[in-house]
Amino acid sequence: MSGVVRAAWRLGAAAVRGRAGRPLSQTAGEGGGATAEGSGGSGSRDAIERLVREHPVVVFMKGSPEQPLCGFSNAVVQILRLHGVEDYRAHDVLQDPDLRQGIKNYSNWPTIPQVYLNGEFVGGCDILLQMHQNGDLVEELKKLGIRSALLDAEKDQDKK
Amino acid sequence: RSFTSQTDGEARVSRVLREKFPRAAAIRVVDISGGCGSMYEIHIESEEFREKRMVQQHQMVNEALSEEIKSMHGLRIFTSTPKP
Repeated sequence: MSGVVRAAWRLGAAAVRGRAGRPLSQTAGEGGGATAEGSGGSGSRDAIERLVREHPVVVFMKGSPEQPLCGFSNAVVQILRLHGVEDYRAHDVLQDPDLRQGIKNYSNWPTIPQVYLNGEFVGGCDILLQMHQNGDLVEELKKLGIRSALLDAEKDQDKK
Repeated sequence: RSFTSQTDGEARVSRVLREKFPRAAAIRVVDISGGCGSMYEIHIESEEFREKRMVQQHQMVNEALSEEIKSMHGLRIFTSTPKP
């Protein structure tokens, strides 16, 4: 892990320890749980379908890119930043319990953050981190027409 | 904390993973919430992951631990396949 991500990780981890969080089971009751789907609310499949297609890069997280409220969400923001990806749609699930449960139903994935590239669910923080480390993220961004900043950083290094 | 001891939570999660992934070459479960059982880090190496995209591999682990996950605050998953 690069120094920047490691430092961001520590910051984020401290934020997680300081907060009283809820077990993942408790979020199941929010927004009526299963009934939030199909009701047209912010947690419905249709609403989420629209959100994930809004932009090539869409992130569902806790807090915002300017102020992440969870270590894992922070890690996603930092990794995207490393690649020079600052223009993306971020949705704070803490602001909307229906969305928080709806996005978990939509992707059949129990945790936040969730990263969507071109409308397709890619994974959470661990997967994004592994994609970053093995070079897959640069490739996936290229498919979206986004040139990773790390490619330019490597070029600069070669010149030295 | 002694290196040979394991929390009850770690033991339970390991057991569930061993049952659901009988072909796993290696399973390691670490409570990263200081023993509170609220956050785990899971490493699992198995043939069952071969040819699957990472999100699918992690999804398999999520489904295997769907009951246990309900009482967790978060988890980290690292999947891999054994060297052929």
